[in-house]
Amino acid sequence: MMSTASIVIGFISFVLGALLALLMIPILVWLERRGAGLIQDRLGPNRTNVFGFRLGGVVQSFADVVKLLLKEEYYPNHIKKGKWLFMLAPIITFVSALLAFMVIPFADNIIIDGESLAVQPLPVDYGILWYLAIGSIGVIGMFFGGWLSHNKYSLLGASRAGSMMVGYELPLGLSVLSFVLTYNSIGFNDMVHWQSQTLFGFLPAWGIIVQPLAGIILIISLFAETNRAPFSVAEGESEIVAGFFTEFTAMKFAMYFMGEYVAMNTASAVIITMLLGGYQLPWVDTELLLSNFNNFALSLMVVIPIFVFIIIRWMRKNNRVRPTVSSDGGRAFETKVLSIALISMTLLIEIILIALMLFPSELGSSIAVMLFQIATFVVKLMMFNIFFILVRWTLPRFRYDQVQHLGWYYLLPLSIFNIFVTALVVVGVSL
Amino acid sequence: MSQRVKTVPRYGNTLKERLYLPAIYAGMKVTFKHLAQNVADSNAVDTLEYPEEQPTDITDRYRGLHRLTHREDDSIACVACFMCATACPSNCIAIEATPREDGQDEKMPSHFSIDTLECVFCGFCVEACPCDAIRMDTGIFSLTGNSREDFVLDRDRLLSHKGAFGKEKSRARK
Repeated sequence: MMSTASIVIGFISFVLGALLALLMIPILVWLERRGAGLIQDRLGPNRTNVFGFRLGGVVQSFADVVKLLLKEEYYPNHIKKGKWLFMLAPIITFVSALLAFMVIPFADNIIIDGESLAVQPLPVDYGILWYLAIGSIGVIGMFFGGWLSHNKYSLLGASRAGSMMVGYELPLGLSVLSFVLTYNSIGFNDMVHWQSQTLFGFLPAWGIIVQPLAGIILIISLFAETNRAPFSVAEGESEIVAGFFTEFTAMKFAMYFMGEYVAMNTASAVIITMLLGGYQLPWVDTELLLSNFNNFALSLMVVIPIFVFIIIRWMRKNNRVRPTVSSDGGRAFETKVLSIALISMTLLIEIILIALMLFPSELGSSIAVMLFQIATFVVKLMMFNIFFILVRWTLPRFRYDQVQHLGWYYLLPLSIFNIFVTALVVVGVSL
Repeated sequence: MSQRVKTVPRYGNTLKERLYLPAIYAGMKVTFKHLAQNVADSNAVDTLEYPEEQPTDITDRYRGLHRLTHREDDSIACVACFMCATACPSNCIAIEATPREDGQDEKMPSHFSIDTLECVFCGFCVEACPCDAIRMDTGIFSLTGNSREDFVLDRDRLLSHKGAFGKEKSRARK
C-alpha cells in the first residue's frame, strides 16, 4: 500500500522531470542561438515578444514551435513501404533521450514519516545502467530515418551516426565502469552521496577530482553520444546536407531537433550527477543542512536578496535600447514588471523561511532542503548546458574517422588503464 | 641547401600539443571572455540593430539609388542624349526624348525610367553622363515594394531623390 506522501512525491518528481526535459528544449534552443551570437560579438534573436515581453528573446523558440507545427507535412513519394517506420524513427530518438533523463535524482531522498522517498521520476537504483541502455537506443531512430529516406545523404548520415557509436560506446562504458568501482554503486543517488564526502578533509570528493582521467573520457564520450560539436559528424551542411534528417519535414524534423537538445540536457544531467556532485553543493550534504536548518535558512535569506539585486541591476543595465534608437519597445515596462515579480518572490521566500525558523517542523525543513537541492541541480544543469554551447562555438569539428581513431586508439586504452588503477586503489584502500 | 630554401618549423608534435586539452582550454578562454563581456554589457556589442539604427558610415563614393539632377532653375538637367542607356551593361534604362521648349537646350526626356531589378549598380551611367544629370549619391541602400512595377523608377521619382552629400545641382548645366 502506497502512502499519500510517496504518491505526492512521485507525482511531483515526475512532473519536475518532464518539465526539466521538455521546457528546457526551447530555452536551450534560444540559449544556443543567443550564446552563439554573444560569443561571436553579435546579438542573436532578441526581438520576438508577446505584448512587449521579450524575456531576452526566448519567445522566439515558442514562435518557432508554432511555425514547425503549422508546416506542411511532406512525405517523399519514393517512400512506399515502411512509411510508419519513417514516422516512428524521430519519435524513437526523441523518446529515448527523454526516458534516459528520467533516472536523474533532482534532490536527496526525502524522509517523510520514516519513509525514504526518491525525488526521481523513475525511482530505480540502477540509474547508470538505465541511462546506458536507453540512451543508446537513440541511434536506432537515426538509423531507421536515414535508411528509410532512400537518399544518399541520409544514408551517409545514418552510417556516420552508426560509426560514431562504434567509436564512443566502448570508452563510455569503460569510463563508467571505473566510476562504478569508485562509488561502489550503480545508482545515481548513491553516487551523489559518495561525492558529498570530502577528500583529505577539505577537497569535495567530486568525480572529476577523484577520477580526472575517467571524467574527461566520460565527458568526451557523452559529447559524442549527443551528436554535438566537435563530434557532430552525422550532419554537416557542407558535406551531406542535413545527414539522416534530410528528408524530414515539419514536426518530424522537430522531433529529431528536440531529441538532440533533450539528449544534450540528459548528458549534462548525467555528467553533473556523476562528476560534479549532483544536486549538492560542495561541503554541504543533506544531513548538515537538516541539522543546522536555522543557519542554512539565515544564509539563504542573505544570499537570495543579493542575487536578486544583482539580476535586477543587470536587467536595468541591459534590458534597454541604445541611445540612438528612439522607440523603447516596452523594455522599461518589462524590466519593471519582472523586477516587481522577482522582489515579491524573494519576499515570499523570506517569509516562508522566517515561518520555518519560528515554527520548526521536520516536514517543512526537509521540503525546504529538497527545493534548495532542486534549485542547485537546475543551476548546475544550466551551467553545464552553457558549457556544451561554449564548446560547440569554440572547437572545429572532427572528421568521422578521426572520431573513431580518437575512441579506439586513445580513449579505449586510457579507460582500460584507468580501470586497472582504480581497481588497485579500491582494493588497496579496502585492505 | 640553397639559400632560398626556408625551413619552416613544424608544430604540433610535442606532448602538450598532442594532448589537445591545453589548446581547447585556451580556445574556451577566448570564447568565454567574449561571452562574459557581451553578457555583462550587451549594448556595447558592436553591431547595428538595423531597422531602428541606420548606418552612419556611408561615404560619398557609395553607389546608392540613382537620381536625376536639376539645373539652377530646378528644371531637369538631362538632355536625353542616351549616353547612359548606351553605357548600361544591363539595359535597365529606358528613355523617350521630347523637344525642349524653354530654350535652354534642344532635348529633354519625356520619359526616363530605371528598372532597379535589372540594375547592377555599376555606376557606368554616372560615368557616361556628359551633363552630370544622373548621379548615384543619394545614399539610399534599400528599396522596397509590393510588386515588380514598384521597382521601376520613373522620371518624377528619380527627380525627387535628394543628394545625400551636399552637391545638389548639376555642375555641367546651368
